[in-house]
Amino acid sequence: MSIDGQTTTGPDEAGASAAASAPGLRRAVIVGGNRIPFARAGGAYAKSSNQDMLTAALDGLIARFGLQDERIGEVAAGAVLKHSRDFNLTREAVLGSALSPETPAYDLQQACATGLETVVGLSNKIKLGQIDSGIAGGVDSASDAPVVVSEGLREAILDLHRAKSLPQRLQILSRLRPKDLAPLAPGTSEPRTGLSMGEHQALTTSQWKVSREAQDELALNSHRNLAAAYDAGFFDDLLTPYRGLTRDGNLRADTSLEKLSGLKPVFGKNLGADATMTAGNSTPLTDGASTVLLASDEWADARDLPKLAAVVDAEAAAVDFVHGKDGLLMAPVFAVPRLLARQGLTLEDIDFFEIHEAFASTVLSILAAWEDEDFGRTRLGLDGAFGKIDRSRLNVNGSSLAAGHPFAATGGRIVASLAKTVHATARAEGRPVRGLVSVCAAGGLGVAAILESL
Amino acid sequence: MTPVQPVILGEMPSLSKLYVNAAAQAARRRLMGTQDGSALPAESHEVRGVGVDVGNLTAYQHLIGETASDVLPAGFIHALAFPLAMSVLNRDDFPLPLLGMIHLRNSVQQLAPVLFTDVLDITAHVENLRGHRAGTQVDVVSEVRLAGSPDTCWRGVSTYLAKGVFLPGIDKPSPAPVRADFKAPDPTALWQLGVDTGRAYAAVSGDFNPIHLSVLSAKALGMRRSIAHGMYLASRALADVGAVRGDSFTWDVEFEAPVFLPCRVALDISSAAGTSGTWERSDFVAWNPRSGRRHFSGSVSLS
Repeated sequence: MSIDGQTTTGPDEAGASAAASAPGLRRAVIVGGNRIPFARAGGAYAKSSNQDMLTAALDGLIARFGLQDERIGEVAAGAVLKHSRDFNLTREAVLGSALSPETPAYDLQQACATGLETVVGLSNKIKLGQIDSGIAGGVDSASDAPVVVSEGLREAILDLHRAKSLPQRLQILSRLRPKDLAPLAPGTSEPRTGLSMGEHQALTTSQWKVSREAQDELALNSHRNLAAAYDAGFFDDLLTPYRGLTRDGNLRADTSLEKLSGLKPVFGKNLGADATMTAGNSTPLTDGASTVLLASDEWADARDLPKLAAVVDAEAAAVDFVHGKDGLLMAPVFAVPRLLARQGLTLEDIDFFEIHEAFASTVLSILAAWEDEDFGRTRLGLDGAFGKIDRSRLNVNGSSLAAGHPFAATGGRIVASLAKTVHATARAEGRPVRGLVSVCAAGGLGVAAILESL
Repeated sequence: MTPVQPVILGEMPSLSKLYVNAAAQAARRRLMGTQDGSALPAESHEVRGVGVDVGNLTAYQHLIGETASDVLPAGFIHALAFPLAMSVLNRDDFPLPLLGMIHLRNSVQQLAPVLFTDVLDITAHVENLRGHRAGTQVDVVSEVRLAGSPDTCWRGVSTYLAKGVFLPGIDKPSPAPVRADFKAPDPTALWQLGVDTGRAYAAVSGDFNPIHLSVLSAKALGMRRSIAHGMYLASRALADVGAVRGDSFTWDVEFEAPVFLPCRVALDISSAAGTSGTWERSDFVAWNPRSGRRHFSGSVSLS
């Protein structure tokens, strides 16, 4: 273990599989999922609230699996951009849905990892026997984002509320300046660095020397794979239309390398000719919601519901990005090796990889770090490079660059799609099939999980 | 009763024009005297190919507290059909004055879900002209079908009273029914209705009847303050019943004391399950928590 390394073998390493096979724990299975098509910000869902979209995704799931009036063990979901009045967003969505009003719910927030973390948390409750069924999910609206008042106005309003006399009130009001009255729109800047996510990723992109061509190619594959999946009917049982959308609004089935390479850089422009990140190889602001139905074997069997995959294990990681030790979105680089080591697995044991495309260069930087001998030795505590991924097994049904990325909804989108993919492949090839999900998040966070076909 | 011959209108009539026309008609009748007999127009009015504005739908759902699904709330369909219903009441051969009519009760059968993407054919006719102790009442029946389909998916009957209007040949007004004293139950909800409640519902429903818009415009029509739209109140009660009602149901409401704005309205909803334990009906009643006067009551039940 080196001082600056996040070693892969922790003190709690048991050497063998933990979550799935630990005695006394039962299995948590993925029954299926439902989402609404993702819309570009200001598009089809411009007037739809987080609660509207989460309820729509939930009601689609309820209809698909016949859950009307069913009391689900627990529903967990969240939103990254959330108005304070939506403190009980998930519970309110449940109350507006066709589920039994006696279904408990809670909100969770872990930036872009929110959706995946709800899957992990509810799976663990199922494994422990605390609940028999759960619905995980997430939603985000960049269009209907909360707008807040300035800090100066906020403090003045609170002080006014406490003031007892007219002179006190006048004194408080006299503090206000015109600039205090301007509302603040939510930003995606990191609180500690002031850099936007894109600017952070531009630093990482440059550090790992990810080329513009490689980014554009990854973006093109995302669009092609997503379009092919739609054409093949892959999403027919994963999605319900909403507000007139039947496909993700950001999908450009006809895009090409020529079109993508013609776009101007939008992040890292201070790098001059070395700037590589464009609107085409970065995810756009998006609106949408997703849900995943989780259950114990007994619960699913009793209702004659499908069982696509088991949630095997998960790992969260974080990086010290504040002073640039690692890139903001590089935590999955550490989460995945730790997770696979705990399960006694290597990259070769994984059949499908879902690495969330916050930016094309995020995926490529993660892959570059895993392929780097020195990084593997000094930072991951391995004998050499962690390994290389067969790119034909990466994001096979498209990912966030094409579908869009309503922050908290991405985890549910990926988990439901991957569960269906491993299940179908296992059926076709007559062998167990594994999938790996990795999602990076603001604050230097990352969460990874392993699914295995049933 | 099947009306003889539908009059096909090229497009949904404009409510504001209908109200202006109704005012002109009222003035004309005042000058010329009421000439008409006691027969209702036999013709129904029909508009084909009606579409829904999705932005308007979302605004309606947010205001009423309905889940913002792609399915049209039953009260939204009422608002959609309302101008056509009014156009029948605005006909020259309709024997009662449109302005000042009071909405006594409303009954809706939602027979099948209607999506905002559906294109609709809507018909409206009047029937059942009859006496009331305070005047004459009449039913306006609206029916909605998917374009080109013979099956009705929504049917609404609105009963209006023309207060103080007694037509020759119509039954003598029956004596006021003895109403059991209303004793307010414990409320399950309390609504805070601001002065802008009428304007907000007018914006999403299109019903800009002046009695709902402001104190001034209401006073001009003889009200002491503006009052909430009855269908706004009934639609909120329907939303409060929630998803348990399913896709098809019957929704009845009877209006009593008007809701003067601003005010607080207390509401009680009690649901009953059938023998199998599944939902069968929800009864609702709303009253003024200060005076204890009942504003409206009704039910949502399995069709």
